[in-house]
Amino acid sequence: MRRSLTAGLALATGTILLLDLLILNPSLELLAGGLVELLILLAAAAAVGGAATLGAHHLRDLARGGPDRWGAVTLVGGMGLILVAGLRPGSTGSSDPAVNWLVSALLVPIASSLFALVFLFLLGAVRRGLSIGTREATVTVAAAGVMVVLLLPIGGAPGAGLATAAAWVRDVPLAAVFRGLLIGIAILVSVSAARILLGVGSADD
Amino acid sequence: MPNIGEFAAWLVGLIAGAMEDSSMRLGPVSTIALLLVPLVLLSLVARPRARWAGRDLGRLAAVGHAMARAAESGTTAIVSLGSAGITRATGALDRLQTVAALPILAHVARAAARAGVPLRVITNDPIAALLAEGVLIDAHRRTNTPERAVNSSVEFVGEGRPVAGASAMALPGDHGVAVVAGGLAEEGMLVLGGLLAPSSWGIGGTAAMSQAVGPLLEADGVMIGPELFQAPADLAGSHDARLAVHAANRLLWTAIAVILIASLAVAAGAPDPAGFLTSR
Repeated sequence: MRRSLTAGLALATGTILLLDLLILNPSLELLAGGLVELLILLAAAAAVGGAATLGAHHLRDLARGGPDRWGAVTLVGGMGLILVAGLRPGSTGSSDPAVNWLVSALLVPIASSLFALVFLFLLGAVRRGLSIGTREATVTVAAAGVMVVLLLPIGGAPGAGLATAAAWVRDVPLAAVFRGLLIGIAILVSVSAARILLGVGSADD
Repeated sequence: MPNIGEFAAWLVGLIAGAMEDSSMRLGPVSTIALLLVPLVLLSLVARPRARWAGRDLGRLAAVGHAMARAAESGTTAIVSLGSAGITRATGALDRLQTVAALPILAHVARAAARAGVPLRVITNDPIAALLAEGVLIDAHRRTNTPERAVNSSVEFVGEGRPVAGASAMALPGDHGVAVVAGGLAEEGMLVLGGLLAPSSWGIGGTAAMSQAVGPLLEADGVMIGPELFQAPADLAGSHDARLAVHAANRLLWTAIAVILIASLAVAAGAPDPAGFLTSR
């Protein structure tokens, strides 16, 4: 009964939004607009609730003296710093210079340094993949090796031949695989969406 | 601006006109054979393990064994729902990957509950955390292990893709089983490397094609592209699966019947269906 109700609600909401997309009608537009506002409200409430939960979780960790004390101190301290910068008297909120400085001088460099680790993690993954020895990992590493050879910066006729081969690999087999996968994803996304709307879930195995 | 009735009449007329101008390229038998192809295809993708699944997607059938080994070695299990979330500002395809990961989480959670392995779920979306919490409660209810529920937890690690990568890297690597399933982006390698590399056994799954290399290299069980959406169907019980397949089949048979009947009617010189349907 409960599942039927939620599935019905989801179906009705989706139908109203779809009809509003296709049909120009003031009443329908008003109804769809109200639904979208409710969704935005839900997302905002989720964000605030999530932040509060995160803070509470780490404060509890600190109070209990858990193993990740320093992580909790850093997180709670960072949250406090941003909140103080944005909410102190005279602050202009999220556009306040202090908040902007914290974002541009601390958060952006930290995020950039994290993403700089991707290459190292990729090398580690290659090593792990080869040690696991699965067929997929071996083929992936072999294909990556072939592409590295094809993209070697060599001049003259051999270099031109390698560049042509690399372009062919990118445009023909690689594009075919990607498009095939994307078509498969699109089909199964439709099936998954239908299953959700029909309320077809997984049972206990 | 035309009203809806005129638009419907135009649409029906357009289809009828197109049918009238058409003829079969391959003859009736070949045409019907070709029409059967999408029917079989849809059955194939919608139908779970009962008849069509030829292999164990993502090695999900081995989760129980991996959990048993984790229980023997006294280690824990961890699941990441990717970094796309459900209410985060990202594409619909990414969000659906998180939704598709929930049945996989349910499967892993039931195995962990049966084996008595503490399970930790991390996500960077509060709504996904809420749903995961419900999945864990349901897993302990279904396996009749409420006393073990205290060992399972869901953690919202904060907003943002860098946070997802950083939290995965910062977690202690004593997991017997690690699962990463859901939408990933540029931080994907950090999440996969942070969770799967130090674990004894792991599954990686994403439909983000730019991140397909990560699971292929890091994970013991892999779900790439459509497989992430197919795996939950494989886990489904036979009754629910049959329901979806029957619904899809009926839709297809109805479409085929309408096309055939309309074609025969036009070929027999019946009046214009558009005029008949719109009373004009």
